[in-house]
Amino acid sequence: MSEENKDITMEAVEEQEYDVDKIKLLPGLSEDGTAASFQIIDEDHTLGNALRYLIMKNPEVEFCGYSIPHPSENKLNVRIQTYGNITAMEALHQGLDGLSALCTHVEETFNEKVEAGGYSVIEP
Amino acid sequence: MSSPQKEAFSAPTSISHAAQGQAPSKNLGVRYNCAQCGASFTLGKTDSIRCKECGHRVIYKARTKKMVQFEAR
Amino acid sequence: MEMRNEPKKYRYHPKPQIPPNMSDIVGIEYNRVTNTTSTDFPGHSSEENAWDLEEFKKNLQINISHLAGRSTNFDLINIDTSIANAFRRIMIAEVPSVAAETVYIYNNTSVIQDEVLAHRIGLIPLNVDPDTLQWIDPAADENERFNDANTYVMTLDVSCSKRDNVPEGTTDPKILYRNSSVYAKDLKFVPQGRQEQLFKNSPVAPCDPNILLAKLRPGQEISLRVHCILGIGSDHAKFSPVATASYRLMPVIDIKEPIVGELAKRFQKCFPSGVIEIDENGAAYVADARKDTVSREVLRHEEFEGKVKLGRKRSHFIFNVESTGAMSPLEIFLKSVRILKNKADYLRNCPIGQ
Repeated sequence: MSEENKDITMEAVEEQEYDVDKIKLLPGLSEDGTAASFQIIDEDHTLGNALRYLIMKNPEVEFCGYSIPHPSENKLNVRIQTYGNITAMEALHQGLDGLSALCTHVEETFNEKVEAGGYSVIEP
Repeated sequence: MSSPQKEAFSAPTSISHAAQGQAPSKNLGVRYNCAQCGASFTLGKTDSIRCKECGHRVIYKARTKKMVQFEAR
Repeated sequence: MEMRNEPKKYRYHPKPQIPPNMSDIVGIEYNRVTNTTSTDFPGHSSEENAWDLEEFKKNLQINISHLAGRSTNFDLINIDTSIANAFRRIMIAEVPSVAAETVYIYNNTSVIQDEVLAHRIGLIPLNVDPDTLQWIDPAADENERFNDANTYVMTLDVSCSKRDNVPEGTTDPKILYRNSSVYAKDLKFVPQGRQEQLFKNSPVAPCDPNILLAKLRPGQEISLRVHCILGIGSDHAKFSPVATASYRLMPVIDIKEPIVGELAKRFQKCFPSGVIEIDENGAAYVADARKDTVSREVLRHEEFEGKVKLGRKRSHFIFNVESTGAMSPLEIFLKSVRILKNKADYLRNCPIGQ
């Protein structure tokens, strides 16, 4: 492999860059980290409500709520309080993982149904 | 050492006006189109507002020949 | 004159005791709705309700009613509102598509103003696969912003003229003049760079050729150039790939007491046709609740009081997606699911700042 080609492959496997300003902690963090508020930039009710639902489904979570502090600022605040066995950040990550797995399954099921057929292909 | 560039006097490139015995038409006025006959003409600031061809008093400003950019929003 | 100032009488509404099998039904009464919020969370009742992917996989049902070129109708069953709503919102505002963004007008002597014409051109849905374009770099200098990888160029050059030998007394401008109407199909694709090769057989064109853009009279002309780019609906509605993307909840009609004879016929008339049918004993039964519009007409008649309960199934979403034509509605929905997944995955890996 020539030097030039090597460079191209290296670039291709280079990890996706993540925005360091995308999510930050807000004041109101408990000492043990079981209660925290996060602020996510450039997200709205779309992610906020779906994420809140999945975090609330976690039995270790005592409270989860979200708000858009001001309609003309593209910010999303999420508050998480746990019963103490996991940290708020872990609850957030578990919620995100759950949401990701949920989407994967919806996509798979939908694709299966499309391939299975049995529906009309003309407008009623 | 070169001297700083100065705008030099340049003789009028077209002297045919003088040869023809006509004053150069100063194209300073705004272009207008007549609403009645469609004639295109210019008006100076002291000219009366009417078509130079037919005398109609409704005239339109001609559209710019420059390209105009818009956002499709 | 005596003015009576009686206090308003409010009816007392006790908190409804919802039987377990009814917990998934939103109650629809004469002037109110009940049991509207999801309560399937741990600690809310004796049931566990914790998030369980395997349980979700077991319960999720998807039924496709129709999947046509421009529209689709499907049911998502046993999914929460927050998720279904996220899909709907993403389809409208976050699935990318291509639309005209910048219009360079060289001449426009028609009666329609430049900015109005530019706006109309922006709203024309274009038949292009959005995946063939890259995103514009808004930080780039205006002269270097557009290239063959992120922009499609179209031109519109029309002028109106009188037609010869028109029969006497004709008033129809379409017969009298050439190009009396300017349509979306008059926009012509001008391939740039590599696009010549890529779009040899399928030029970029409007999805609907007969969208009226302007009307002309002899002597008037329009000459302009358009730059079409990738965008999302939250930036401008012209970038939304859907005409509508909506859901409704599955109607539930619960007949509590038998309704027979003449009453059954009147009962049937309270619903759209096909919802209620009458069996051989003359009793009304629910044939197809899906067709119901939940107009609540039946609740206006005293004769049916106590005989019927209306509701909607909270976890049964009937989606209706209509595409503007560039993408298949199936692709739009699947992209919305992928976008939500990407959001979650991206945020999962983002470092949390202080």
